[in-house]
Amino acid sequence: MADDERAWVDGLRRGDRAAFDAVFAAFRRRIYAYLVRMTRRKDAAEDLLQESFLRLAQSTARLAPDTRLGPYLFTIAHRVFISWTRAQAVRAQLAGDLPAREVAGDTRSPLEALADSQAQLALERAFAQLAPAYREVALLVGVEGLSPSEVADILGQKPEAVRQRLARARTQLAEALGDHAPKSWRTPS
Amino acid sequence: MTTTDDEDLDVRRLTEISRELPAIDLDAESAARISRRAADDLGKRPLRRNLELVLVFAIVIVYLVWVIGKVLELLG
Repeated sequence: MADDERAWVDGLRRGDRAAFDAVFAAFRRRIYAYLVRMTRRKDAAEDLLQESFLRLAQSTARLAPDTRLGPYLFTIAHRVFISWTRAQAVRAQLAGDLPAREVAGDTRSPLEALADSQAQLALERAFAQLAPAYREVALLVGVEGLSPSEVADILGQKPEAVRQRLARARTQLAEALGDHAPKSWRTPS
Repeated sequence: MTTTDDEDLDVRRLTEISRELPAIDLDAESAARISRRAADDLGKRPLRRNLELVLVFAIVIVYLVWVIGKVLELLG
């Protein structure tokens, strides 16, 4: 655990505003990017980012001194995302609709508009095409650098389930990327 | 079932390709608003948790009063 992180956790446990601001500055981009890629909506991701940090602010007194903030915040964000997904499904049912399918179309979504090359666009679309359970594991391991066992804790899953999702995510990404997949992915592993 | 070597390979390759994803960030104004809003709740218990505590406390008190009443009734 880094000294910075230990100091932040100590500060949060005391209700120190400066420590909270430092944690927000350090983690907001990572949590926001994860939420944008999971919800596929920037407005929803902003709401869920706020909810995630609200929950952190309201739970600081219960933080253990050795809390690792990355996994802790992603656990909150994952739970906030799951609640949002359930609310969306209920809303869609009440409206007599099926939940909207997340399939990339011909028009670029606001998220895809961030891509500044064809390769980035293909990659963003490939991630979007993954089932949410696979996408989540791919993002947490690939983008966030969390270990599969940390991801298993965050998701409340068995490590074996995470390993399987990881393998499927990579296979599906390779298929979706086609010619845009790195050369090393196309050779037999 | 995948082996540890397969898992390492999956992690390496996902990490490698994820570096190519475009950076995502929210605008500074929204970030400041969210940070302010969340920091205002620093150290506060969530409202629902407070309501739960009040409800449990009220139920316990009512039950105790009822028990004491019954005991007094039996004694009297």
